[in-house]
Amino acid sequence: MILLRVAQGDERAMEQCITKFGPLVWSIAKRHVQDHSALEDIVQETFTDLWKSAKRYNPAIATESTFVGLLARRRAIDFARKENRRPQFEPLPDADSLPHASIESSAALRCESKDVRAALKELPKETQQIFFLHFDEGMTHPEIVEKTGLPLGTVKTRLRRGLIDLRNKFRRLDSGQSPSNP
Amino acid sequence: MKSQDTSDRFEELEAGRILGDLIPSEVQDWKILSANPGNQADLSLELVAAALDAEFLANEDTVLPEELLKKLHNGISEFVNAEPENAVIVRPARWQGLLASSKAAWSIAALFAILFIAKSFVEKTSVDPESLMATAPEKASSSEARKTLISKAGDLIQSEFGGTENYNQMSGTVVWSDALQEGYMSLTNLPANDPGAKQYQLWIVDPGRDEKPVDGGVFDISANDGTAIIPIRNPLMVTNPQAFVITLEQSGGVVVSKQEIVVALAKTS
Repeated sequence: MILLRVAQGDERAMEQCITKFGPLVWSIAKRHVQDHSALEDIVQETFTDLWKSAKRYNPAIATESTFVGLLARRRAIDFARKENRRPQFEPLPDADSLPHASIESSAALRCESKDVRAALKELPKETQQIFFLHFDEGMTHPEIVEKTGLPLGTVKTRLRRGLIDLRNKFRRLDSGQSPSNP
Repeated sequence: MKSQDTSDRFEELEAGRILGDLIPSEVQDWKILSANPGNQADLSLELVAAALDAEFLANEDTVLPEELLKKLHNGISEFVNAEPENAVIVRPARWQGLLASSKAAWSIAALFAILFIAKSFVEKTSVDPESLMATAPEKASSSEARKTLISKAGDLIQSEFGGTENYNQMSGTVVWSDALQEGYMSLTNLPANDPGAKQYQLWIVDPGRDEKPVDGGVFDISANDGTAIIPIRNPLMVTNPQAFVITLEQSGGVVVSKQEIVVALAKTS
């Protein structure tokens, strides 16, 4: 558990953390930001956040990569909010409205890699396709529209409801039920 | 709308917020619904999105750029060694202390109090969703873009800069819009810098968003600038800036300022 050692101020663990999670943080940032220098800033900010917030990491609630991913995602999206003032999309609400990244919420949940794949398979086929295009191939909504021919509203709705469905499936997994049980 | 319907609607909007696809009317709905104590967002949807990112991206053959890797390792050892006793990392307490200090270097505090009352103003009005969608003209000059911002921003913040001891000949103004995430500095009599050696860097103190001040961008002043209009380049969202601080840093700027040379300060509250 690298993050637990980081939480104790272990500098060597932080170096290992950079080696282990650096590529993930970089990849997440690249999904949202094109500018190279901004990418570097986001990666550095994410690891600064990680150093400061590692004490809040709870292995019972999130995997290490999910925790790091959440920090990277927030940093990247925060930047993209400012940069992507595209007419079709509204900048997201204020960052300070976000729940604290303490991973202490009782509503949080642990998502293991195998659970992610299993839960995805429970989604309707058409929703699965959109999820793979968005999360695996990194396509934006307009790119998914172009690829699938689906209306933008349908893409958005499927992604949103799919995310909620996945969350509900994880919760059932956490409570020991089969993901497909209602 | 029934309670369950309201809850479902909020959840869908929360998913949209996390996915980054809310349209203006939905943002308004989200703001209204999120004010309801029964609709407090939790981390669960965000965790799922992060887990998906981790699952799909963790196994990619991505390698960090060598230079960045070096920076990270060097940077980490710096702040690991410095924190917390040496306080090399700029902490809000230090910045706030700096802002509140009554010592000589900050004798301008009194001046600011006067300037603030006399000249600074903060207007925060409800934000027109359309204005949130507006995009600054990309090719407009900084001066034109500044004028446009002043005319269109409904939540414009304006404050006066005051120079510190060695920069007391300078004057300037900062204008900023939270809604548009856009701002400009108008700076006069700031000494020219040698970009190869030192560069000015703006910091935005926003304690509500983060412990650290937000980097507002590196900029240069040339001998012929007269009054320079400098766009603020904040990579991170700023939501309630309390002050704008200019420091002089090494060429290229720094990720974390040691505040060795504080040039000027503009307080907004």
